[in-house]
Amino acid sequence: MRINLVWKQYDVLVVGSGGAGSNAAETASEMGASVLLVAKDPLSASDTKISEGIATVRASGSEDDSEDTLSENLQLAGGDLPDAKITSAFAKDSQTAYDKVRANGLRPKISAITKNPDPLPLPMGGHTKRRSIGHKNSGVAFGHANWNSIVKDAKIDYKEDCWLVDIITENNKDDTKSFVGALIYDAQRGELLAVVCPSIVIASGGLSTIYFPKTDTMRGNTGDSYAIAARAGAELIDMEQIQFLPFCLTSPPAFEGLLGGEPVTASYLGVLRDKNKKVILDGVYLRTRAECSAAIMKAVEDGRGTKNGGAYLDMTANKRAPKSGVYFMNFLKGSLPSAYNNVRQAMSKSESQCEDLWEVRPSAHYMMGGIRVDENCCSIGGSEGLKNDGIVGLFAAGQAMGGLFGANRLGSTSLTEGAVFGQRAGKNAALRARNISGMNRLNKKLFIEKAKKVNSLIGQKGHLHASRIKLTIQRKCWENLGPIRDEERLNKTKLFVSKTRKKLKNVKISNSTKWNQGLIEYLELENMIDTAELMAFAALERNGSLGGHVRADCPNISLFSKPYSTIVRFVNNGLNVTRLPRQQTEFKKLIKFKFEEQKKFLGAKILRLMPMILKDRVLEKRYKKIMNIQKSSITVQPGSVEAAFGDRKIL
Amino acid sequence: MTKKETKDRQYLNVTIVTHSEGKDMPVNFKYKKRHDREKPMALDVLLQAQETKLPDLAFRYGCRARNCGVCTIDINGLPRIACRSVVRENDKLKAMSTLPVITDLVVRRDQISRQLRGKIYRNSGGNDLNVDASEDYHELTSCIECYACLHNCPMHEKNSSDPSESNERYEYGNPFSLLKLQTIVMDPVSSNSQKNDAITQAVNLGLDTCLNCPGCKCGIGIDLKGKVVNPLINASKKIAEK
Repeated sequence: MRINLVWKQYDVLVVGSGGAGSNAAETASEMGASVLLVAKDPLSASDTKISEGIATVRASGSEDDSEDTLSENLQLAGGDLPDAKITSAFAKDSQTAYDKVRANGLRPKISAITKNPDPLPLPMGGHTKRRSIGHKNSGVAFGHANWNSIVKDAKIDYKEDCWLVDIITENNKDDTKSFVGALIYDAQRGELLAVVCPSIVIASGGLSTIYFPKTDTMRGNTGDSYAIAARAGAELIDMEQIQFLPFCLTSPPAFEGLLGGEPVTASYLGVLRDKNKKVILDGVYLRTRAECSAAIMKAVEDGRGTKNGGAYLDMTANKRAPKSGVYFMNFLKGSLPSAYNNVRQAMSKSESQCEDLWEVRPSAHYMMGGIRVDENCCSIGGSEGLKNDGIVGLFAAGQAMGGLFGANRLGSTSLTEGAVFGQRAGKNAALRARNISGMNRLNKKLFIEKAKKVNSLIGQKGHLHASRIKLTIQRKCWENLGPIRDEERLNKTKLFVSKTRKKLKNVKISNSTKWNQGLIEYLELENMIDTAELMAFAALERNGSLGGHVRADCPNISLFSKPYSTIVRFVNNGLNVTRLPRQQTEFKKLIKFKFEEQKKFLGAKILRLMPMILKDRVLEKRYKKIMNIQKSSITVQPGSVEAAFGDRKIL
Repeated sequence: MTKKETKDRQYLNVTIVTHSEGKDMPVNFKYKKRHDREKPMALDVLLQAQETKLPDLAFRYGCRARNCGVCTIDINGLPRIACRSVVRENDKLKAMSTLPVITDLVVRRDQISRQLRGKIYRNSGGNDLNVDASEDYHELTSCIECYACLHNCPMHEKNSSDPSESNERYEYGNPFSLLKLQTIVMDPVSSNSQKNDAITQAVNLGLDTCLNCPGCKCGIGIDLKGKVVNPLINASKKIAEK
């Protein structure tokens, strides 16, 4: 059996239908480009749809929230790894990009006072300003808006159930490399699509599926974007920086890895304890996710982990406070409704009421590194970061791109990332298509060769199954490329990768052309293998702990040392890894940041040690302050809907 | 407890109906419980089947947390969200009966979104975005697009059941499509002409079928009859009167 090759021609090909993909497709289409959007999953079923639905919008909480402030927050949180041009672009566009999503039907709660969308009452971890806007129905509300943007005016062609196999590039005379098209397996129709086009937006980021446990991030996160771009010769940046969410559930099996809470929802008195109930991290609500994940995994490494390989999140002090306890429970339930829903279903009543400790563990979530691009989402390369050293015509947005978050992602930023850079990628992809007049000297051979390769897999005989090898990869990656790494483990990963790659020729694939699950699993497995390898090389190069990357065999990388990003790329029969020096934040600002960080932690510590009566009074005041009801507190009953800082379930 | 009873408690017998080349093939599968009291979800069963007996079993899933809406299958003939539906002894897991099956438990879904292509024009058109949407609007946008509502829908049943390739989009509507149209009607940012367009589209999709229907059932509990169908019928009557 052979899968038929079908030729298509477009200006812009968009891969992925989540926040980044839908925004890219809409923007490119608005600029007059003909657009084909393909996705593995049904339309808009993506990490955006399953997210908590909280978006960063600059200056939504206070007018003094300048572009520089937001950009600096991202820089400092990211350990100076983020590209300043990219963080500036994020800060510059956050409002307009968000409004574009709202134009497609996203409706946040509007503040009666400011007449603008109302941000969460507390700045999320690492943000110095309140600027995170929650939405009713969480990410599902974004899912609808994204769906609308693709379907609404019939200009964007789209296909579900399509797996991008590889992208096709041509070498030009001037030594540059151009994108010329892509080969796609349309499983629904049982066809191979040869899409000829000058621009591609890769917006199918995410690689959490190379691990287990993982959060509710989509099953399809098999690292496709990174592997496919790298195989075509693109550079990837900061690939060691994957975010593990610290407070995920450990049991029952159907809930393993799903989100339970975030540092901010641990609130003022939340602490982490090991199995002996000894405090291993305090001031949890001020900590970054990576700090919490590392604390839990270190306890597990030292044999102080809980039964299911985690630690205890203790929020009982918040709950016990006689006056502020009620406010806390409302805050917890309202802040992350879908996470709290997981908790309610998976834990006992006393646990979900925070009268008992939560058993939590980290789980793989978000990729902060990715395809190396500039602020316009163009693939770039070399020490100068030039477009001509990248793949001309290749654009990446959302989780697929690197350079925005560096070593740590602040909460609520990824939905905005999808919108901001989806729109930028769509615009620039369309502009490039406008300047290219037809693909007159198209080299059809390149497509046909790739298609032949896919067809040679159909009916492949063997005794192995890709779906099972994937499970082994998930286990091995957790052990050796997970929240705790060292040289030995990373070398094991490299070895494991090369062994597994050799097994591919013994993977059995059936004869069918339409929805060939064996072929799908094979294509994804290949991407998982390549991605794990790219990550292992980057993780070896970064010989110190920083952000999402924790090296047990090396000291922490200080904020004051010279920052660098890692760059990995495939070269002839191998892999090349280099360091890219990054601009360090001014010393003065670094010291101020460190000082304020320490002050906050100290404050949290003192608060925790205060006598209950005093503590309770301080907290009641704080909760009331963030609920904007200081003056009317007499008329409002604690625990009532009005006291729940606005209708809390919205957030 | 006898040996057999202990063994029974460790396993759960289910039937998974696989599908290829237009034919159904039921497969008996013994799910091995991970602990005595485990009450596995349908997705747990499908994942274990793929890991053991049926390595190429095709099924959709995404988030494991009832949010993405892609893992809907039929359990004993009724649509269920696989990641959050507990499986019992002798249950039968099968592809949704309301959509054409591609392979095993995977159905084709995009003929539904295509019927709204170009028909849900949305644009603030310069309208103020800073207005609060009603509770009803937010109830509608909690839809996760699981398509459980297609079950027993007389409007959807009018569509040709022939899953031929030419059938790119369905002619007749379904509760989901009506929900998307009613969302436009409920949106405080929509202009009056956009709202009227949406109502007209609902009529064109076969809204009159709903007049004699006892009502539809939502997979996650949205009041489809009360919040979608009835308001659309009433609004369409008003337009007709004019």
